Formats: sequence, C-alpha cells, structure tokens
Amino acid sequence: MAAGITVGRRWLDVVEVRGRSMAPSLLPGDRLLVESHTYQDRTPRLGEVVLAADPRNPARELIKRVAKIDEATACAELRGDDPAASTDSREFGAVPLAEIRWRAVFRYWPPGRAGRLVAGD
Amino acid sequence: MLTIRALIHPSRHVHAHCDIPCGIYDPEQARIEAESCLRIIEKHDASDDKLFRARCIHVKEERAELVKHHLDVLWHDYFKPEHLEKYPDLHETFWKASKQASTVKQSLDAAAARELLAMIDTIDGMWKATGGPEKTRVSGRPS
Repeated sequence: MAAGITVGRRWLDVVEVRGRSMAPSLLPGDRLLVESHTYQDRTPRLGEVVLAADPRNPARELIKRVAKIDEATACAELRGDDPAASTDSREFGAVPLAEIRWRAVFRYWPPGRAGRLVAGD
Repeated sequence: MLTIRALIHPSRHVHAHCDIPCGIYDPEQARIEAESCLRIIEKHDASDDKLFRARCIHVKEERAELVKHHLDVLWHDYFKPEHLEKYPDLHETFWKASKQASTVKQSLDAAAARELLAMIDTIDGMWKATGGPEKTRVSGRPS
C-alpha cells in the first residue's frame, strides 16, 4: 500500500489551508486532497479551486477559485470566495493557465465538513 | 509518501491569502488623529507662548500626516472593487479627504480641520455599511 501511494505522490498530495479568503467554503485548518493529474490533460475550468504560486512571492502557494478564463491570453483570473478578505487577481493580475498545476478535490478534515470540492461550490 | 502523520499535519500549506494578515481596519484611527489636529489648532490659537505655538504646529503636522496614512491604508487595503460598485464616488471621497488632510497639515484653520472630520465620518459610513465593524474589528470589548 505504501509503495502505491509513494508512486501516486507525484500527482496526489495533501495540503492545509491558511487564511480566510476562501471562506465560507474553505476555512483555515481545512485539510485537502489535491491532485495534479487533471491539468496534464486539460486546462483549469471556471469555478475550480486551484493552487497557484503567488505572482508576487513564488515561494508562497495560493489557493483560490478560477473566476474567469481568457482563452486568448491563456490566463485565469483567480478570486477568493470572500472577496472582501482576499488578495487575488484583482491585485496581482491574471495567472497563466500553464502555471496552474494542482486542483483541490476533496476535504478530509475536519470530518464534519469532509466531502468533495465541487466547482463553483 | 503520504503517511498518517502527513495526513494529520500536511507540510504543504496553501494560502487563502489576504495581504494584511491582521485584517483590522477602522476609520476611527484616522478620526482620532484628525481630532488631535483640531484640538491642537484650538490650543495654538488660545496661546501667546511662541514656543508652545511652534510645538503645536509641529505636532499638528505629524498628526495630519498620520491621518493621510490611515486613510491610505483604508483606501488601498480595506476597500475592494465590489465596494466601488456600491459607492461609485469612493475614490473621489478618499482623494478629497486626503487632500483635506494636506490642507490641515499646511494651515491653522479650525474650519478645515472640522471639514476633515466630516469627510472621515463619510468614509466611516461606507466602512460601516460594507460590514467593516463585524469583519475588521475584534469583537468582545466591554462596552
């Protein structure tokens, strides 16, 4: 079992949410399953919760929702679900689709709010 | 490897990021400095002491600068584009208030200082109407 998961780690990972800009759908301390398989085959879609490097500080990884896609420039606008408490594409601009590799798919913690993360949720 | 330990405490943190980690805003900060300006101008006018009057001018200029700073933080960090939809004159309001703070910094006009207070109160109204007190202050202070 461990061996299988080790192999899978390349496209499957777990992350912990920090900050409140995705409230109420994601709260600080939420643990999520993220995967990088989907975006090898296709680009992110509207409403999906994605991870992206902060354009102003690439060492920091952001979690935001895809709010708009510009096919012409191949860029996505990212937004927090709580716009009043979010620093996002409104400040740092659109993010190239090619730089979005990870998608959040499932919350496993806390158990009371565990479940699949639906696009546009 | 995804161990139980990694599941419980993921080492990878993703940021539902907000630029200001504290997220605390309140136009009261600007108002208190503006009130200082008004009171200092009144004290200046009531005094014959040259040295005291010089100190008044110096301190009032510092306070007026702080008003500008606090207004800037509110303007740039608290207010967001969706607030602009609700208050299309938001930029104009801040621009004028900031200029008024400059006027107070440069002058000894008590009326100008009162006008600045009124402008800050307008901004305070916007902050309150956009949920500022609930969202950007910590509750629980004894009343």
